[in-house]
Amino acid sequence: MKKYLILILVTLVSLHLYAEIKVVATTTNIANLVQVIGGNKVSVDYLCRGDQDPHFLEVLPSYMLKLRNADIVFKIGLDLEKWLPQLIDGSRNDKLELVDLSKDISKKEVPTAKVDASQGDVHPYGNPHYWLDPENAKIMAEEIYSALTDFSSQDADYFKKNLDNFKNEIDSNMKIWASKLSGLKQKNIITFHKSWIYFTDRFGLKVVDNVEPKPGLPPTPSHDASLIQIIKKDKIKIILMENYYSDSAPNHISESTGIKVVKVPIAVYGIEGVNSYIKLIDYIVNQVSANG
Amino acid sequence: MVKKTIIFFLIICSVSVAQSNVNPDISLIGMFDTYMNFDKNTPDYGKLLFDIPSFELYIEGYLNPYARAAVNIAFEEGEFSAEEIYAQILRGLPLDIQIKAGKYFLGFGKLNTFHPHAWPFIDRPLWQQIYFSDEGFNDIGLDVNFILPTEDFYTTLDLGVYSGNSMAINTAGEDTDPDEVRGNSLIFVGRLGSFFSLNDFNNFDVGLSGSYGNYAKSSFYVPDSVAFPSQTLKYFYGGIDFKFKYKPDSYTSLVIQGEGILNHRDVIRGTETEPIFETITTYGAFIYFDYQFLKQFSVGAKYDFTFGVIGDDYSATTISNDNANKTSDIEGWIGYYPVEETLAFRLSTQYLFFNLADNMTKDGETTITLQMIFSLGPHKAHQF
Repeated sequence: MKKYLILILVTLVSLHLYAEIKVVATTTNIANLVQVIGGNKVSVDYLCRGDQDPHFLEVLPSYMLKLRNADIVFKIGLDLEKWLPQLIDGSRNDKLELVDLSKDISKKEVPTAKVDASQGDVHPYGNPHYWLDPENAKIMAEEIYSALTDFSSQDADYFKKNLDNFKNEIDSNMKIWASKLSGLKQKNIITFHKSWIYFTDRFGLKVVDNVEPKPGLPPTPSHDASLIQIIKKDKIKIILMENYYSDSAPNHISESTGIKVVKVPIAVYGIEGVNSYIKLIDYIVNQVSANG
Repeated sequence: MVKKTIIFFLIICSVSVAQSNVNPDISLIGMFDTYMNFDKNTPDYGKLLFDIPSFELYIEGYLNPYARAAVNIAFEEGEFSAEEIYAQILRGLPLDIQIKAGKYFLGFGKLNTFHPHAWPFIDRPLWQQIYFSDEGFNDIGLDVNFILPTEDFYTTLDLGVYSGNSMAINTAGEDTDPDEVRGNSLIFVGRLGSFFSLNDFNNFDVGLSGSYGNYAKSSFYVPDSVAFPSQTLKYFYGGIDFKFKYKPDSYTSLVIQGEGILNHRDVIRGTETEPIFETITTYGAFIYFDYQFLKQFSVGAKYDFTFGVIGDDYSATTISNDNANKTSDIEGWIGYYPVEETLAFRLSTQYLFFNLADNMTKDGETTITLQMIFSLGPHKAHQF
């Protein structure tokens, strides 16, 4: 009898020791970073697909089911995932730990005056698209490492090794990416939505205007006309845009000016073949450098 | 003593800090309808008419990590009313149940729990007007929501108990004392609903609802009846609902949604001096589609059918007690949403037609409505 009890106890302890940490990430970028840091100690699922606009996600009960069984949910924060509280409420998971990856990020475009809807869809805590700067991906990875270690301290060394490998990989790729975009330093570009500031600041590109007249507002003929003037005057070569937005206005501008529309994913799995964060940045850099 | 004083001080400080930082979300939805009615029997035939603008003021937020509360003050037809006041315990209860208590729209079917401004069409479905009221199925009570262990799909069971004031309104209108209409007895409402995610782009929700109770005292219709002086008239509503949504990208979606009701109830027929006690079974249903073909535009159509005649006065043989006459409608609309959720315009055409018993006739009615909806304040994400 005693033997059986010990066996059961050992089994239970070992099950606990080898239990995967169940993680849900709000975006595929986070999911990829968690997988890289957590390796085989985590099982990761995500809510927003790579080809979806993370600003707007419908509150589906199937997402609540994902969160119901999770230990940790990671989010971008800065008010990007306004839909998340409803999903967490629906999950009824009172043990779920929520980790905001924006905590240690140097935020850009934080409003200094009162924000209201006349300015468009302005994020009151700063621009949330910080993952487009690979240096910020290292900070996100640190935060993920810290949360996973808090949850499973016995795997800290394993997570640390993965974190270091990831940071090294970013560092080595940074040189390649910077070199590819060096020819575009201080060159003017136009973006569709105001989401590229972290990317362009990192690689020295200059955003002179956006196709959206104000964040979240659909393009208008008068704004298109003013963009056409700017493009012709400044000889701007590319409009950089996310692949989940309609390209009809950029294409119209392109027809009038010859400017190239560079439509790229901003999340892992946003297009076939882009199945990791490194590949995502690689894809964006290659598209911009090839067309810029 | 000092330690206790410090702890007390810290608690007071933390409470006051928390209070100063916790503001509820406040949002306001305004609605304004302008319409033309082509009913030949009204003096306003073909005239452009303006409704008094209405609004709904929402105040909602977390009470603590476990519970939320919401208040919805409505201003409709020139009058203020508290449309919803409730608190909801979301987590931390045994069996992961959620409890909602207060006054709110009851979960009979799916559409009734959504506010009209969130529907793609303008007019409340006919059978809801007949079997609930113009304002929907809204009552005071308590709902317990269970999540069932169906692993691959999300299934919930709601069981609620309510004051029954909504049934008094359905029986005799808003201006009548509920006690006079139906006495003081509870009604019960429940729904079993399952959500299936078919793939990344297709989702499906289906539900079965039921409601049971009494809707009137027999003495409300025949005050001096010797045959059944204190009889209660009971009802049972059975409902089925479904919603399918196909959304391949940010700018395109197709929603097909339908709901039906079966009404089984005691009624009083005959004359005041010789009333007859009967049971009747009637039904109603609607189905619509709404197709968003561009970011800012959608089109849709609805077919709606019910027993009962829209616009009838209340009596023992009309509205939800009517098993002889029928009303149907066909409605088509186009929606324009210039900037996300902040502003919406809907142009709708509704053709209402009647199928009356006993060789009676009633002309069909066509109404063209232009509706503007605006939204101030934070917008919650859309619920499926």
